[in-house]
Formats: sequence, structure tokens, C-alpha cells
Amino acid sequence: MLRYFLIRLGQSLALMFGVLLLVFMMLRVTGDPAALMLPREASAAEIEAFRERMGFNRPIIVQFADFLSKAVVGDFGESLHFRTPAMTLVTQRLPATVELAATGLLFAVLIGVPIGMMGGLKPGSAADSLARLLALMGQSIPNFWLAMLMILFFGVQLRWFPTFGRGAWNSVVMPAFVLGLPVMGQIVRLTRSTVLEIRSEDFVRTAYSKGLEPPVIYLKHILRNASIPIISVIGVQFGYMLGGSIYIETIFAWPGMGQLLQLAIGWRDFPLVQAIAIFTSTVVIALNLLTDLVYAIIDPRIRYGF
Amino acid sequence: MKAKLLGLLAVILAVSMIVVGCAPASTPQVVEKVVKETVVVEKPVEKTVVVEKQVVVTPTPGKPQPKGTLRFALSGEPNSLYIPATADKNADIAASQLYDPLVFQDDDGTIVPALAESWEVSKDGTEYIFHLRKGVTFHNGEPFTADDVIATWKYGMGEGSSWPDRYSIAKSVEKIDDYTVRVTTDGPKPLLLVTMHDFWSIIPNEYMEKVGLDGFQQHPIGTGPFMFVEWVKGDHITYQANPNYWREGQPRVEKVIFRFITESSTRVAALTADEIDLTKRLTAEEANQLLSVPGVKVIQYPVARIFYIAFNNLTTGKGLPTEDAKVRQAMNYAVDVDAILKSLFGGAGKRAAGFVASSELGYGVVKPFPYDPEKAKQLLAEAGYPNGFKIDMACPTGAYSHFEEVCQAVAGYLEKVGIKVNLEFMESAHYWDLEAKKELPPLFGDSWSDESGEAYNRLKGALGGWDAPYSSWSDPKIDELLDAISKEVDRDKRKALYEELQVYMQENPPFIYLYEPYTFEAMRDRVMDYHPRASEMCYLNKVWLATPE
Repeated sequence: MLRYFLIRLGQSLALMFGVLLLVFMMLRVTGDPAALMLPREASAAEIEAFRERMGFNRPIIVQFADFLSKAVVGDFGESLHFRTPAMTLVTQRLPATVELAATGLLFAVLIGVPIGMMGGLKPGSAADSLARLLALMGQSIPNFWLAMLMILFFGVQLRWFPTFGRGAWNSVVMPAFVLGLPVMGQIVRLTRSTVLEIRSEDFVRTAYSKGLEPPVIYLKHILRNASIPIISVIGVQFGYMLGGSIYIETIFAWPGMGQLLQLAIGWRDFPLVQAIAIFTSTVVIALNLLTDLVYAIIDPRIRYGF
Repeated sequence: MKAKLLGLLAVILAVSMIVVGCAPASTPQVVEKVVKETVVVEKPVEKTVVVEKQVVVTPTPGKPQPKGTLRFALSGEPNSLYIPATADKNADIAASQLYDPLVFQDDDGTIVPALAESWEVSKDGTEYIFHLRKGVTFHNGEPFTADDVIATWKYGMGEGSSWPDRYSIAKSVEKIDDYTVRVTTDGPKPLLLVTMHDFWSIIPNEYMEKVGLDGFQQHPIGTGPFMFVEWVKGDHITYQANPNYWREGQPRVEKVIFRFITESSTRVAALTADEIDLTKRLTAEEANQLLSVPGVKVIQYPVARIFYIAFNNLTTGKGLPTEDAKVRQAMNYAVDVDAILKSLFGGAGKRAAGFVASSELGYGVVKPFPYDPEKAKQLLAEAGYPNGFKIDMACPTGAYSHFEEVCQAVAGYLEKVGIKVNLEFMESAHYWDLEAKKELPPLFGDSWSDESGEAYNRLKGALGGWDAPYSSWSDPKIDELLDAISKEVDRDKRKALYEELQVYMQENPPFIYLYEPYTFEAMRDRVMDYHPRASEMCYLNKVWLATPE
């Protein structure tokens, strides 16, 4: 167990290093990072002064070492647009994105698991068709299109929800639903197939013959065993939702990290883009690690075979 | 067994589809068919541009109290509310409501007193004496005096300022007494007052010293019609009416809330659902859509930006036929800009008559080149190119709305009169890089905006020759006129110079003049007296809401 954890941790750290290297190279691959970061009217003198100040003239190894040492403590320099530390801007926006991703995941699980279960327990039934339809929709509907439709219908026509922004309690409903829909689709499909598999297992037949009530069987035996792959999907998906909510946040004017990233790219605000990219990568890698650990704890069969 | 059969069928189906798809196309047979074509006649939609609803409001006796909350949706979050640090229009609009400058530029361009009641200019135009308004206080109660003017100037050139040259345009700012200031410049600077209107937003000296720039950014203080209440990052900025504002009867709304919505379709939805009152920067399609929404009015106006195709007589264009004025005139006659505007922008653009925009000083003395391909061919023949010639052209991608198509259209029109254009597209950052080094082909497309109400900066930037990085054309007569403009402090005399310059630039055009883009804005019916400028700036002190909530 410990060995498994250490190996996974080592892998995660190596991955982090790779991400940092990639982000570092991103700025320099086109040649002159100073020219990229300054507005186009900047004079040659201004560019040179900026280069001096940012240390772009030093040997690349020195720059990378400096970058690494600062990245570890979360110092990504100042945002070019806001003139305030980049990391502070990211952490300010974090709660909004977490709220969105968590609510989205909640929708996905609370709706997806029961429907998937229903489909798995009664394959071929109407409930099953619903489950399969939901899975298909979730995976194929483009999220920005759905977002705009929902804004127009539920926001403008019905006035059930605010059309934008993070404010009243119901402002999170539409964006979270749209964000969670693809995950919902995945969870429905996965739950359905896992339940389908499990219900024909011997121990389930034993439970039925023991005379247990169906609800007890569904929850205590079937769902518990089906939850293993579901948990791993949830863990991974949460990470992606945290990092991939750019479209949703932009369309709904939701003040999260995704919207900040979209704006930062437009402003060519490299320190800010770097900060967001690295922060999000860290979160995704950490979540993956955590999921694997939880997985290993639940299922003692998971180990490394050496 | 059944499964196997199904499987076989599936395979046969798949294979047959592949075979059909890959088979060579059969020889078409000519079959006479009577095709009924329904021709859709496009009826021009009557577009009412300015829908001003007459709302009769009986004036309440006594001093009118500011009423209601104006919810303004910006297309992006301001980066700062400290004027020297503002990076874009959104920041400019939000920040300006907090301050006043010494002088203000009115809707029609004239400079009127603001925090300076009056001023005198020396004969040589290098010395200004401003007499400051007495009895004005900042939002925190601090009285406004000459020290604040000096502080504004000093901080504007210091750290945290992105526009130091807008303050260093003045060589010195001295206090003569508490309510008199002397400003001197190095040689006459006709744009000093306009620059002061734009940038010299007076900040409180004592407060700034006490809290420093960081503290100021957390809670900015000015003398303006609105006071800062809060800024919830990423979400909104709230302002409160300044009860002690020195302009009587202003502001007329109680609160202003700025929301940040980057997606324009969401701004449209929010406006339709009455969640916001006012928004800018909509597309022509969205504006059209909003015309049919009850409770909403739409306005459009040309922005002070000119799109053009530039000629080159400094580097790549040397020795080419385009050096001949007749050829350049011909090329102006050859392009049907109206047709381009109609088909690409639905007519939402204004023909550029020259390099001075319709809202700028001196506009109106020349008319845009009419579309006359015959005249173009005639001029080309006169210049010695009856069969046209070949030339290279470049266009940036992803920089401006529909600009790639505009350039293609221009190339097409030129081809019709015999000029074969080899059009190259480039990614915009790379493009501007080359433009700055004057390495672009002898024809290239670009645009230039100017917010000072005068075309000088635009002219200098595009025609400064070797002095201006993005310029590809130099003409000594233009240099001479620009020089005179830069030294002429009297507004009327400057107007005459701009007019002379425009006439010259029609006979000797350094560009193919294209258009000024339109911008679209929309608001709820209740928003009154909202008057944006061609620079997209708007001042909210006079705005009021007809049915206050």
C-alpha cells in the first residue's frame, strides 16, 4: 500500500515537472518573450528595459531554475494587465469555479447514478431507454449551444433563473447543469453497464435468495460495488471540470478561473495564463492521485505488481 | 446463428458503402429539367437608427434627488480604477465617473471649464495659467486645491502609470497660490487640453500620500459625480451618487452598478430580461435582433477608427507604379466600398472620406471617392498602365471583424481594372511585427483609431515616414502640414489646416480609404440622456432613468 502510494506520488511529481517545463517553454518557443508580452507600440528601448527587468537575458537554465523555485511557492510574478500578483487573482477566483464544478458534479451524480441504476436493473425498459438517451445527449450536445439556449429559454422567456453572473442561489443552476451534463452522460453509461454486470453476479443472487428487500440489495450490495469505477470517474472528471469550465464561465459571466483564463489569453497576459495553467494542472494531478488512493483503499486488489 | 447473419449483413453493408463511395463518378447524363426557382427578394428592412421615445416627465419642484440604479454591462472587467493605469475602454469608462479633470471636452469637441473655472494661454502657447474652482471637495471631504493638480501630474508620470507621456506633455506644473496653477510646455502643444481632459483626472494629494498607490487602488477617491462603494472582483463594481458634487443637479441616478459580461449574446439576453439597463459593443446582428424587443432601444454610431489599404514609398513600394498619384487615385475609384459595407456589415459602416474621421476636427470638406471603375481605368491609362500591373498585398487574420473578406473584396475590385493583386494572409501579431519594421508588401490593410477628437495622432502614426514605426508612406507636403498643426494652438486655425490637408490627400492619396466601423449599443427605454462619444467614451453624470425603481 505504501509502496503504491509512493510510486503514484513520484509519478505525479514527475508529471508536475513536465507541466512546468512545458509552460516555461511556451513563452520562449516563439523567440522573444519580451516582445510577446509588451504591447505592439513598445519601442525597442522599452523592450530591452523590460527584458532586463524580467531577466530574459540570463542563460535559459538559470531562468528555468528561478522559475521553478518561484513556482513551488506559488509566485508567478505580476499580471501584466492588473499589475497585481498573478496567483492572488487566481485564488480570488477559485471559490467561484469550485462552486460551479462541485454543483455540476452534484447534478451529474444525483441525476446520473439513479437513472443509470434504473437502466441497469431493467435493461430494455422505458427507464433504460431514458438512461441511454441521457447518456447520448450528455456526450454529444455542444455545451455552449446548450448554454445559450437555456439562457434564452429559462432566463429570458421563463425568468426562472438569472441570465448571468453569480448572485442569487439559483444563479448556479443553469451553468452547473450545462457543465455537468457530459459527466452526467458518462456516469449514466458507466453506472448502467456496471450495474448490469453486477446484478448477474453470484453474491447478488445469494442476496435475493436470502430474502433481502430489493432496496437494500440495490443500495448495500449492487451500488456499493458499482461505486468503485464511478468514484474514479468522478475524481478525474472533477479535475477536468475545474479546469475546463472556460466556455460555461464566459457565457454565463461566472466570475471563475475559466473566465479569467479566457480574458488573460486575449490580453496576452502571460504571467496570468501561466499561473492559471499551472494551478489547474496541479489540481488535476492532485485529484487524480487522490482518486487512485481512494480507489486503492476501497479495493484491496489494486496494487503494483512488482 | 442470427447474430452471425446480422454480422455478415453489417459487413456487406459497410463494404458496399465503401465501394460506392470510392467508385469513380458515373458519367452525368444531361437531363432537361424545368426548375422553378423561388427568388427571394430582399426587402431592405427599415432600420430606425435612433429610437428616442418621448417620455414626458413633470419636473418635481425643488432640487431633484438622484434616483434609481443604472446597471451597466461592460464587455470586460476593468484592470484598474486609477486613470494612469487603465488599459482599455472598459477601465476608462468605469474609472472616469469617479473624477473630474481641470478642463472637459464637450460632446461637440469644444473645451469647457471643469475643475478650472478659467484659464489663460500665453502668446507663444507654452504657458497656461489655470484658475481653479473654489469650494470643491473630494469624496472623503478633502478640499480641492492646487496641490492636488501637482500631485496628479507627478503620480501620472511615476510608477504604476502606463501612460507617462500623457503627463510629461507638460514640462512643469507649479503652484502660484491655492487656487492658481501654472503649466508650461516645451513648445506649443495644441493637444494639451484634450490630453488633460482624457488623463488628468484629479486625485486627492493628502489621501494618496497617506494610503499609497495600493491603498488608492483598493478605494479610489476623486471629485467626480460618483463615489466608489465596492469592487467584487470578477463580478461587479458599485458606485454611489456624490451628494456634494459641484455641478448642480448632477448626477441624476442614485447608484451605478457595472457588471462584466464578456459574451455579447449574454449581454443581449440580460438586457432583454431586464437584468441590465445599458450595454455597448454589440454586433450588427444583435442590434437588429434587439430592435424588435419591447422596452429596448438601440443606437449606432461610427467609431473614430479608419480602415485603409496603405501604399508604400519607403521600402517595398519604391519604384512601383503606386508612386504615381494618378495610379493611387485610380485605385481609390476602383473599389466599391459601399458594396463591401452592405454585404459584409449589413451597411453598418461609414465611408471614409479621407484620413479624418467623421467626428473629428475639420471633417466634411472632402467627399469619399465615388465608385467609378471606368475613371479608374482611364487614370491608369493616363499614368502609362493601360494594361494594369502586378502588385503584392497583405492582410492580417483574426484582427478585425470581417477584415479578411474586406481585403479579398478590395483585391477583386482592383483586378477588375487590370491590377493583379497577389494577396497574402498573415497572423496578426506577426503582421504587425513586420509592419513596424516596414517589411510588409507594398499594399497592406490596417486600421487606426484616435480618441482625441482630432486626427493628428493617426496622421502622424501612419504618415510619419521614417519617424513613425508603422508608417510606410512619406510625403514632404504632408509633413509640412502636420508640423504646422502640431504647433498651432488655436482650434479654428487647426481646423483650416486639417481641411487643407484633406484636400491634398485626395489629390495625392497615400491610402485607399475604406470605412469607419459602426458600433452598436442598446439600453432599456428608461435610460435617458445617454450620449456616447465616437471614442466610445461615455459620461454618466447627466444620465437619468425615466421610471426610477
